[in-house]
This record gives sequence, C-alpha cells and structure tokens, in this order.
Amino acid sequence: MKKAITIFTMLVVVLCIQMFLGTDASALQTVSAGTSGDTMSDLIKLWNFTGFANVQFSNLGMIGVGLFFIFLAIKYDYEPLLLIPIGVGILLGNVPFIEGYKIGLYEEGSVLNYLYFGVTQGIYPPLIFLGIGAMTDFSSLISNPKLMLLGAAAQIGIFATFLGASALGFTPQEAGAIGIIGGADGPTAIFLSSKLAPQLMGAIAIAAYSYMALVPVIQPPIMRLIVPKRERTIKMRPLRAVSKLEKVLFPLIGMLLTTFIAPSALPLLGMLFFGNLLKESGVTERLADTARNSMINIVTILLGLTVGASTQANVFLTADSMKIFGLGALSFMVATAGGLLFARLMNVFLKKENKINPLIGAAGVSAVPDSARVVQIEGLKADPNNHLLMHAMAPNVSGVIGSAVAAGILLSFLLDKM
Amino acid sequence: MNFLFVDSETWTITLLGWVIVLLSLFFLVGIFLLIPKIINWGVKRSLRSKGKTQITDNHLSISGETNAAIATALFLYFNQIHDEESNVITIKQVHRRYSPWNSKLYGMTNINFRR
Repeated sequence: MKKAITIFTMLVVVLCIQMFLGTDASALQTVSAGTSGDTMSDLIKLWNFTGFANVQFSNLGMIGVGLFFIFLAIKYDYEPLLLIPIGVGILLGNVPFIEGYKIGLYEEGSVLNYLYFGVTQGIYPPLIFLGIGAMTDFSSLISNPKLMLLGAAAQIGIFATFLGASALGFTPQEAGAIGIIGGADGPTAIFLSSKLAPQLMGAIAIAAYSYMALVPVIQPPIMRLIVPKRERTIKMRPLRAVSKLEKVLFPLIGMLLTTFIAPSALPLLGMLFFGNLLKESGVTERLADTARNSMINIVTILLGLTVGASTQANVFLTADSMKIFGLGALSFMVATAGGLLFARLMNVFLKKENKINPLIGAAGVSAVPDSARVVQIEGLKADPNNHLLMHAMAPNVSGVIGSAVAAGILLSFLLDKM
Repeated sequence: MNFLFVDSETWTITLLGWVIVLLSLFFLVGIFLLIPKIINWGVKRSLRSKGKTQITDNHLSISGETNAAIATALFLYFNQIHDEESNVITIKQVHRRYSPWNSKLYGMTNINFRR
C-alpha cells in the first residue's frame, strides 16, 4: 500500500510540474530572464525533450494497460508469448516524445516504423502461419474430417460481428476488418485489417490478442450454458491411426482446394499448408524446425512489439476503439456459441456410437491451442476420465483454415469496393 | 446498433460469406472422407495384382489406446535408461603439481630471523 501511495504521489508531482511549467516551460523562462540565459535555455530545452514535459493522462492510461498485460502474462500465464511483447510494445508506444525526430512508430524513417512495415504490408502474418503449419499435427482432423464443420460453424462470429459493426456505422471495409476478430486468430486479423482498414489495425490486433488470451475466461460460462451436463460427459470414439500418405496429401489437397475457393487468402493458406508439408514430408526436417522454432519466435517478437507500439494514445484512444473492443467480446461469444450449437445439431444426425461431445464445438474458434485446452479442462470437470484434447484439436485447426477462408472471402467481397 | 439501417449488400455478404465458408469446408470433409477409401482401394488393387486376395497385415490397424500405451512404455523406457549407471567410481586422484605460483617457499618471509 505504501509503495502504491509513493508511486501515486510521484506521478502527481510529475504532472504538477508539467501543469505549472507547461510544455514550453514559460515559468522557467521568466525566472531565467536576465540571469545566466544560455544554461537555463539549455535546461529548458532538455526539459521540453523529456517525456515528463509531454506526458498526458491518456499516455499514462495506456502505459497502465501495457503493465496490466504484462501482469496477466506473468501472474496468470495468459498467452505470455504474445502479451509480454504486446505489453512492452504498448509501453514503448506511449512514452511521450516530441514529434519530428524519427522516434515514434508512425514517423517515417524511425526504427519502429521500419519494423512496423511488416505489419502494415501484411508480411508477418503469413510467416506466422508458416510456423503454425510446421508445428500443427492435422492427424486428428484427417482421422475424423466431419469435425472440420465445427471450425466452419464457429466462423459465424466473424459474419455476425461484420453485421454488428455495419449496424454501428462502420464502413463495409472497416466492418469486415472488425468482424475477423471473431475468427480468434491474431495473424489473420492483422492481415485482413492491413488490407481493409489500416487505420483500425492497432485496435483490432489488440482486441483480437486480448480476447485470445482471455479464452479461458470467456468460453467456460458459455459452454456450461449451452451444453447440458449429460452431453458434456459423452465419450468419443478413439481416433484411428493416420497413414503418412494421408498426412502428406492433406496439405497439398487442402492448399489447392482452399486457395482455389478464396485466392485472396493465398498468402495465409499457402504458407500454412506449406509449413505443414515441410513437417509431414519427412525430408525437410531442418526447414520445418526453423519455421516452427527460430522463425516463428522472431516474427512473434517483431509482430507483438510493433502491434503493441501502434497503440499510441493519440491514435488509439478513440470512440471507435471502444466500439471495436465491445464488438470483439461479442464476436468471441457468438463464435463459441455457434460452434457449440452446431455440435449439438450434428449429434442429432449422428449414430449413437459416433456421437461427438458438443464441448469440442467451442474449439472451432481457432485460438490454437488455448480453446482446445479449455475444452479438455471442461470435459475433465464433467467426467475426470474423459480426455477431449485430441478430439478438440480437429475443430481447433479447422478453425484456423476456416478463419483464413473467411478472410479471403471478405477480401474478395470488399477489396474491389475500396 | 440498428440493423434496419444495414443495407442489403451487407446482409448478402454476411449470409453468403458464412455459407461459402461452410460449403468450402464441407467440400474438404467430402474429399478427406473419400481419400482413405481411395487409398484402401489402391492397396487392395495392388495386392490383388500380386496374387494376394486379402490383407494379412491386420495387426497394423491398432487402436489409438494401444498406440498411446506403446508410446508411454517407450517414453518411460527411454527416460529410465540414464538410471543404469556404469558402476565406475569416478573419483579421481588429484595431482598437486608444483608451480612457482603456489610454492610455499616463495610465500615465506624471513623478517623475524636475525641474520
């Protein structure tokens, strides 16, 4: 408590100095008039360059958000690989400075601006997808392809949010970029917003990643609400063994089919299946290893840091951002509910021995692998002997494919209207 | 939020978009339900051409649980390998080699000795 009071007092003092002296430090100038002018004017210049002279409450608010993200990641282990780079990025992006010296992310020629180029031009998301492809095992999906439909059903969150954003007055392009938050897929959200609504990218990316980190909080109540206890205990048939030929054919056929349907999503889907082929072919282990470890780690650092830094208070704290956050939460809920309801609907048509546990429908929102992990935990709560993780991975990875296809479809519909 | 003011094109994109996603993944489901059948048909055909009428490798189609049990056993086996020690005692004799840097002789002073 003492520490908190001390920190608060220090902040108040710093703000009071700024309020009394102002950013041009006119009070100091008055004092210095007629005295040793040069030294004083240098000091004033120095003061004007410091963050203390330029700080605003909005900057402090955003720094608080950044610290909260870091706290969530370290204390509760919520997506630490994403929240720590994003949290630090928010801190970096909100340190006040005088514009015009190539410091900030939005200033042309600054280091952060160069790194941000990968985000604005949609370079990082396909590289992340390459890594995801190289680390994903699609065998659960190949052994039970019917579960792929759950990944498609959960994409209703994207289109419902698109509708909601349109109703709130966003342009169709902006609504499309906001809608993709419902796909619960950070790289896809960044990719689509960079193409359709670059001005909203910071808010969309932060909303997408924040809600992805909060999947363990958002999903369980909806799962318990929609799926009755009796159905939560359904034990699914064990998965069949998948041959190597099937594993090699999957990325090839998947790539060709999905990119023929939605060529706009070619960078995402192409890279995802290419990464998977590197893994499954068995002859490019070195490349697969690089893609799923070193490369994805580097890109995650750059992406997280620059997306975080893009939340400069003067650009980020707007009414639109607040609307986006509201719509994002709604889209996650709709997507989860869509997956769960579709799973229950599928059970109506399936034979008794092939029934699926409707809980796995919630994993259709992609958010790999967090939502599958949530399904496993909820399944164990209903029946401690029922392990759903491998079954949930099927809709989970098909959710990634589904959200990329949805992004491609939205791009096809909306890109020509720009 | 007023859905009455949403234009017809937005409604079209919403409904059509979701249906296309659903149909494209439905198409993928169909393909991937078909592939194992095609592979099995190919295997049977090649066996038939070799003169075999039925597949004798039934033991290869083992269930997921059996696979998991085998994998666990292998994991435990390989993890316990390090417990088998060589039984060689590894304490080695330490040789104190002479060096002028640690020589006792150089460290002695003769201050208190009368000459």
